[in-house]
Amino acid sequence: MHTCPLKRILLWREVNIKSPLRVIDGSKIIILYLLVLVYKVKYLKSQTKINLKLNELKMNLKTKFLLIALLLVNIQLFAQDSFMVSGSVKDSNSLPLLGVNVTVKNSTNGTQTDFDGNFSIEVKTGDILRFSYVGFVDQDVLIRNQSQLLVVLAEDLNLLDEVVLVGYGSRKKIHMTGAVASVVNDDLDQIAVARVDDALVGQIAGVNIAATEGEAGSAPTIRVRGVGSLNGSSAPLIVVDGLPVDSDFLGNLDMNEVASFDVLKDASSAAIYGSRGSNGVILITTKQGKEGKTKFSYNTYTGFKEARQSDAYYASIAETAAAELAANGVLSDKTAYKQQIGIDRDWQDVIFDGGVIQNHSFSARGGSENTKFSTSLGYLHDEGVLLTDDFKRYNMRIKLDTKVGNNFKFGANLAPSYSRRRRFDGSTHDILRQTPWLPVYHDDNTIQYVDRNVYPDVIVGDYALQRHFDNYGPNATDISNTSNTNPAAKVLERDRNDYKFKLAGSVYADFKIMDGLHFRASLSGDYQNTFRDRWQGVESNRNGASAANYSVSNENRIHMVTENYFTYDKTFGAHDISAIAGISAEKWDFQGDSMLGSGYTSDLIKTLSAATVLNSMGSFKYAERFRSYYGRVNYAYDDKYLASVSYRRDGSSIFGVDSKFGDFPAASFGWRVSEEEFLKDSEVISNLKFRVSYGFTGNKDIDTGSNTIDLYPSLPLLGSSSAIVNGSAQTAFIALNIENPMLQWERLQEINPGVDFGLFNGIVSGSVDYYQRTSDQLLLYNPVSSTTGFDSALVNLGEVRNSGLELELRTRNITSEKFRWSSTFLASTNKNELLDFADANGQIQNVDAKRASEWINSVGNPISSFYGWVVDKDIPLENLNNPYHPVGAEAQDVYVKDLNGDGLIDDDDKTILGNPYPDLIWSITNDFKIGNVDFSFLFQGSHGAEVRNMGDQYLFNHFNSAMDFNSATTPNQGFIKEKIFTNDIIQDASYIALRNVNLGYKFSKKLTEKLGLSSFRVYATGQNLLYKTADGYTGFNPESINDTSPTTYGYQRAGSPIFSTISFGTNIEF
Amino acid sequence: MKHIKYIALAFIGGLTISCETNFLEPVPEVAVSSAGYFQNDEQIETGVIGIYDAIQGVNSTSLDDNRGVQIEYYLTEMRSDNTRTKSQEGEAAQFEEFNVTTQNGLVANYYRSFFNVIYRANLVLDNLENATTGSSAKFEAEAKFARAYAYFNLVRLFGDLPLVNGLIGPLDTDIAFTRVPAANIYELIVSDFEFAANNLDNSQKNRASRAAAQGLLAKVHLTLGNYTQAQVLCESIIGGDYSLESNFSDIFYNESNNEVIFAVGYNPGVEADSQDFSAEWMNGVGRTAGVNYVTNEAIEALETFGGNRASLSYRQDLSQATQYQVTKYLPNGEDGGADGKSFNTDATMSGNDWIVLRYADVLLMHVESILAGGQATSAAAAISSFQQVRNRAGISDTVSEITKQDLLNERRVELAFENQRLFDLIRFGVAQEKLSAFSGANGYGFSATDLLLPIPQREINLSNGKMTQNPGY
Repeated sequence: MHTCPLKRILLWREVNIKSPLRVIDGSKIIILYLLVLVYKVKYLKSQTKINLKLNELKMNLKTKFLLIALLLVNIQLFAQDSFMVSGSVKDSNSLPLLGVNVTVKNSTNGTQTDFDGNFSIEVKTGDILRFSYVGFVDQDVLIRNQSQLLVVLAEDLNLLDEVVLVGYGSRKKIHMTGAVASVVNDDLDQIAVARVDDALVGQIAGVNIAATEGEAGSAPTIRVRGVGSLNGSSAPLIVVDGLPVDSDFLGNLDMNEVASFDVLKDASSAAIYGSRGSNGVILITTKQGKEGKTKFSYNTYTGFKEARQSDAYYASIAETAAAELAANGVLSDKTAYKQQIGIDRDWQDVIFDGGVIQNHSFSARGGSENTKFSTSLGYLHDEGVLLTDDFKRYNMRIKLDTKVGNNFKFGANLAPSYSRRRRFDGSTHDILRQTPWLPVYHDDNTIQYVDRNVYPDVIVGDYALQRHFDNYGPNATDISNTSNTNPAAKVLERDRNDYKFKLAGSVYADFKIMDGLHFRASLSGDYQNTFRDRWQGVESNRNGASAANYSVSNENRIHMVTENYFTYDKTFGAHDISAIAGISAEKWDFQGDSMLGSGYTSDLIKTLSAATVLNSMGSFKYAERFRSYYGRVNYAYDDKYLASVSYRRDGSSIFGVDSKFGDFPAASFGWRVSEEEFLKDSEVISNLKFRVSYGFTGNKDIDTGSNTIDLYPSLPLLGSSSAIVNGSAQTAFIALNIENPMLQWERLQEINPGVDFGLFNGIVSGSVDYYQRTSDQLLLYNPVSSTTGFDSALVNLGEVRNSGLELELRTRNITSEKFRWSSTFLASTNKNELLDFADANGQIQNVDAKRASEWINSVGNPISSFYGWVVDKDIPLENLNNPYHPVGAEAQDVYVKDLNGDGLIDDDDKTILGNPYPDLIWSITNDFKIGNVDFSFLFQGSHGAEVRNMGDQYLFNHFNSAMDFNSATTPNQGFIKEKIFTNDIIQDASYIALRNVNLGYKFSKKLTEKLGLSSFRVYATGQNLLYKTADGYTGFNPESINDTSPTTYGYQRAGSPIFSTISFGTNIEF
Repeated sequence: MKHIKYIALAFIGGLTISCETNFLEPVPEVAVSSAGYFQNDEQIETGVIGIYDAIQGVNSTSLDDNRGVQIEYYLTEMRSDNTRTKSQEGEAAQFEEFNVTTQNGLVANYYRSFFNVIYRANLVLDNLENATTGSSAKFEAEAKFARAYAYFNLVRLFGDLPLVNGLIGPLDTDIAFTRVPAANIYELIVSDFEFAANNLDNSQKNRASRAAAQGLLAKVHLTLGNYTQAQVLCESIIGGDYSLESNFSDIFYNESNNEVIFAVGYNPGVEADSQDFSAEWMNGVGRTAGVNYVTNEAIEALETFGGNRASLSYRQDLSQATQYQVTKYLPNGEDGGADGKSFNTDATMSGNDWIVLRYADVLLMHVESILAGGQATSAAAAISSFQQVRNRAGISDTVSEITKQDLLNERRVELAFENQRLFDLIRFGVAQEKLSAFSGANGYGFSATDLLLPIPQREINLSNGKMTQNPGY
């Protein structure tokens, strides 16, 4: 992986270098035009209405001028004596440089060097060839009569011009004083995943991306430096080309469009985004056109996905029968009968059916000196690994930047996208319950066991229900344990889709007021339409047609942002100053409606038209407003002493009249020790920088489960409801919330000392950061006594601290001409601690009234810690009522420990059983280039987190009474508790994964040229080819976490599986 | 500075959306702010209807919603000797087994739902100042009726309770978590019902009425042993606006009939205003496999004492011959077809009203008040009331004396599956004896402390040690 060469930014600078229209061209145009005009006039004179036509001519003068100018340019090109010059570009160690931009100055002509550093380009005598390459000093070569060039580029060891995006601008990397990580999209687009965030796993220290759901098109969870917020959202702010978007937006973004990611991790860096920066900021920059020949590229891959199954969640009848036989000497009727049906199958094979992922992306980028464009078109189809999940996306982007005169430039960016996501409309924990004997459909064998008295109409090919097999044999044996429909029917007979259309766009104008001072105004926004529908067919439910229904919802969101800001960049001798100051206003308008139709008699028409009853009609309208003032000054003295100070003031419509505005200041300082005299000539230390930052950010996002409350929490809200009086509905107005007019921003303060280093001329480089982030006045939807009429109220309460170390280490192990090897090691630790929780300290909560496993929020421990009893021992088999039915079932209960030794089990014997936050996350990447072959792999691991795996309760049928202990024979019943209240289901969620393997081959120039291409590469990649979970983890995805409140985090209900992908792809440029 | 005009333009453009007046204070369009609401009778009445909305509960599969009276049978009927789950599985089976845990979600939901009724009543009581004189007393009476009704159910199920007779906020933890003796709760109940009885008429059946307040107050007095007051109240209803339906089935399937004094209204097919208990009582039609299934003991009682009520109260499960279902509230009056589970309409959105108080109950309470805690009575007034109920059931033999047991049996079969049995057993002072016997015969774990439900663990946890649990939990 490379550090951050932002070619885009460099090119921007080139645009700024003015290039006056050459006089000679102008005069030629005029001459030619006159010639044409003379010809035209002559021709027209032969006609009758000369004067009139002449007038017409005048009126169209401008159009014609343009046409002729175009013509002329062509003529000019042909007229010149041009010839080919070729050569090679190397660095000071005589290593060939790949991808060096070779451009003819003041023209649109350009190329790049190939893998061996070779290039060839058409030139004329007198042209100046410019060679530019990130990390190297630009070099110009005047063309006289050479046909062969050898160019040696000097390495820019200080990477003086390398810049990092910091929000509202960029900063030289050497001047950075905050913790910002950058990832350039070199080969991320070859990772066969549907979402851009999925491809970032393991790429940035301190950023934890977990595949919480394996369903096609589902979003991962992103956490920057741990969970700081207690409200619903600890997700970072995402800014795409200056437009703040929600994380859902990433589902409609194509990785092929992305140029780079810059992650603002510490509060000082994120403070320029003020109230939205407390969970970190991810800046995404899309690709821009480059000056030169239009470059077309086509990238495609096809991947084959397979789900990771859980062995623990499959119990075969054969094994059960063997165990029962061994214990009892005889088989029970039930078991014998189950075997007779003749099916012994793992349901994971049915619903984890694997899938193919396919991506096609086509782009054309290029431009002239003044105008640059980038267009791309993409298509992705991910079949997902579950039975019905499927994700299709079409996306397009047009980006245009142009310069008018010397002082004005403007640009526009438009990106429509459309996606259709079919859901897996069921829950794996429900479907995978142990019924290995149950067929999906009846066949000639299974049909003979059907209870014909109750089910006279069942025929071969119908879904098989458990109840079909009851009342069989001489003893009228019942083997069913549910009256539910067939588990596969629950999914196959439902059709649930999300259709999303998004249009993101922006226009900006940049005025140069004076040297160094610019004013920039932009208007950007996005429109999003989400249409959801859901058909639940006749056979999807045990209640048949009477439960069949179809629901639709339609939501629109319009989001607009205006930004107006000044930038000032100036160097006075050793002083380097860059500053910004601006204001912005932002608004969101939400609107939507929904409806449900029921009363269907068949599956024939699956729309509202066949419904006989319409129901659940609803609509909503919400608005959110946001206004900000911000400024920042970056200062560097002699490239040695660095400082940055910023301030932002944000006002949000969410908060009460007196608490709308929040202030978010930050400052950071750096010292480049390696530039001091005493280190300047060191042969060991090539770069050493100490830095420290301190700042405040905020959080305004509230997630109470009701958008109405989230957006108007300071008002006492009344919503509409109804009650039936004398057979008709009468309108009721009911209170929706406990209002909090004092509610204000959640605040985060962070201190972050860090050091950047480079050793041995950059062979080893890296950085170490320590951070301590403390959030207080947390926005919390805190539980309150039901006697208030409500369950929860929004408050600013408590204080949480995350602290940790982040390490980045990059080494260039071998850099020979034929063989290159580099490695990257990232590691981050995090410790989460609740510092203060006021009256709520020690608060115990649960997420599910029916399965009330508990969490505790207590000071000195992680925010949400699992709470309950500690398992002592299992209840012996002989005390269980029926240990072999259903297949694979386990007892619901277990003996627990009397921790305080008082002879009884009560609340005082509960203790903290673990927490859901990883202590250590790491990754190792190795990149190899051997001749035309490139190879890389990335291992990633997470350690120290636990999950409450509720999947066990379902998949081991804990609550089936047949497995209960016999109250007559079981001793010490006072020491028995349900497993869900103990550490029995608290499992180690650590894992080590081979996230990525990538093997590529770039065809030789010879072959490529024969095909008429400029570059041709084929590759194969693999994701999660190895995935090792901790001992004792029974599920299929340790990263899967149900979306609950942050005070009850870490709840897993089987979820969907981790999957591996093997894919093949090509990159073609021409 | 020649571009100053562009700059000016851009600023103007950029500021347009930010310079709207009250830019940061958009008015909610999907809800109203109560700060400016409850200004007149119409608006206050929507608050009153909100109270009934809370009693009605939300027809939802989520225990995060207030399920209100729709889940009451779990806590009452299934905790008596009348009904049980079909499968004897899971959280629902805790009730029949007398093994209810402090984490039971249905218990927590009921506690919350009825405190929500109390909250909505208090919200109306707090916003009466803009009501016209004519309406004010009526609204106040309806709110107090609902508050008393909710507290009466809660105090009988949970014992001592927090006394919330006004609006409280999250910081009022002293009120929220201090359990006031039941006697003090009953004082509020009595005064609320009295106010309601004095300020309402009998024009409504799905809203509070004078007779509803008098009838429920009579039951309160019976519970407290104030038999004279109870008798007076019953007698003020008897012979008035209500009468027994001649056909027992019509009570349940002919809504708002003459016998109904107060019922919770539901309409079919409407998610917001329907109920699901009718479906839950069938075999795997609702969310459960089947609950509120009839015990053998209840069948025996119905067959022995029920007369024609037996066949109208329960039936054999058409899908599983060894099981018996309640038929008083069959979804939308349908019988479920040949298998007892195939309905023409969506059974989970049933419209059967839930009857809280009917005239037969008042007649039997009348008998009870005359019995006045004794073992038997032969008072003519008691026998008259008793006989009316029996005659309607097709039992024509005359009685000359009513024993306590006779009355209990009569109440059991007349009001079977109407969530009366547990409270009757307690009020008659025989709960421990009867339920112990029932529990022993069925292998359940009844003990005396099971007569009160546990305070939901959630409240105990939130109280930081302030709130005490009932004994035995």
